[in-house]
Amino acid sequence: MKALFARALLRLAAACLGERKRDWAMAMEAELETAMAEGAPVQFAFGCLLAAGRGLFAAEEGQFVLTSYAVAIGVLLPMAALQIGCALFGLPYLYPGRHGLGGAMIDGGLQESLLRGVYQAAIPSLALLQLLIGLGHLRIAWVVLERDWAAALRWGSLSLAASATLVMFMSVLFIDGRQALLQGAVLAIELAIIASVARWHAHFSPGPAPNPAR
Amino acid sequence: MVRKRQPSKQMYRLLEALSEARGEWRHGYDLMKVTGLLSGTLYPLLMRMTEQGLVEAEWREPAQPGRPARHAYRLTSAGAALARDLAGSAPGQPFKGALA
Repeated sequence: MKALFARALLRLAAACLGERKRDWAMAMEAELETAMAEGAPVQFAFGCLLAAGRGLFAAEEGQFVLTSYAVAIGVLLPMAALQIGCALFGLPYLYPGRHGLGGAMIDGGLQESLLRGVYQAAIPSLALLQLLIGLGHLRIAWVVLERDWAAALRWGSLSLAASATLVMFMSVLFIDGRQALLQGAVLAIELAIIASVARWHAHFSPGPAPNPAR
Repeated sequence: MVRKRQPSKQMYRLLEALSEARGEWRHGYDLMKVTGLLSGTLYPLLMRMTEQGLVEAEWREPAQPGRPARHAYRLTSAGAALARDLAGSAPGQPFKGALA
């Protein structure tokens, strides 16, 4: 149990040390057997984790990792939640009457007398578009943490195109598109941030992985 | 590389431990035991001293078959020169004759 916990701590330490210091992470892991034989694997691994954590704040690569997580968790995931929330519950727009997607599809609803068939026929497509933008955000967050910049920009561009389509169709249907426009603008800013984080990453892209004789 | 700052007490201890058996490779856990430093102090120090060219690191074949290879450390000539310069000057931690 102690050994498993110590290994988990060392995995975390390796994640904090990043690609550039993978060799050091492996060096720490290689000492774990000796630490276990000495009866102090957790203390050893916890020290390594502390060392790696301190390095995370000091080194440029560590700051980059923290920034990536801040962008993914602080910007992309809340935007994904907002978009998916808009698609499923109508927050804060897209459907009249504040009853979400279900309410908009009910016959005899508030909107029916005004827009009737056209509006109700368009709603599923708009909701799907909105949902896809939200799912696109989740995918962008994932590939940003994987440092797959080409995929991040590809998914970002697709989401932006979907966002522009949503705004245009909302305008055609005389639905207030200001919120959608605002979200599209936020998406464009996100893409700019991702492009700049990608450029930053290019400054210290890792070399080939170390290959200790094992 | 020229060091401008005074070495820390921990660095004195590590230099002393590494210079005791000059030219010999030492493993991380052994250095922890000899110096009394914890892993959270020792590894950042080793990383820094390696970057400064004072210590060299190498993967060494295991003494027993089936065991993983281990990272080992020893002083470079610059590290040994620094250890010689500092011999006897460490506060409360005088270097021993091994540096001579």
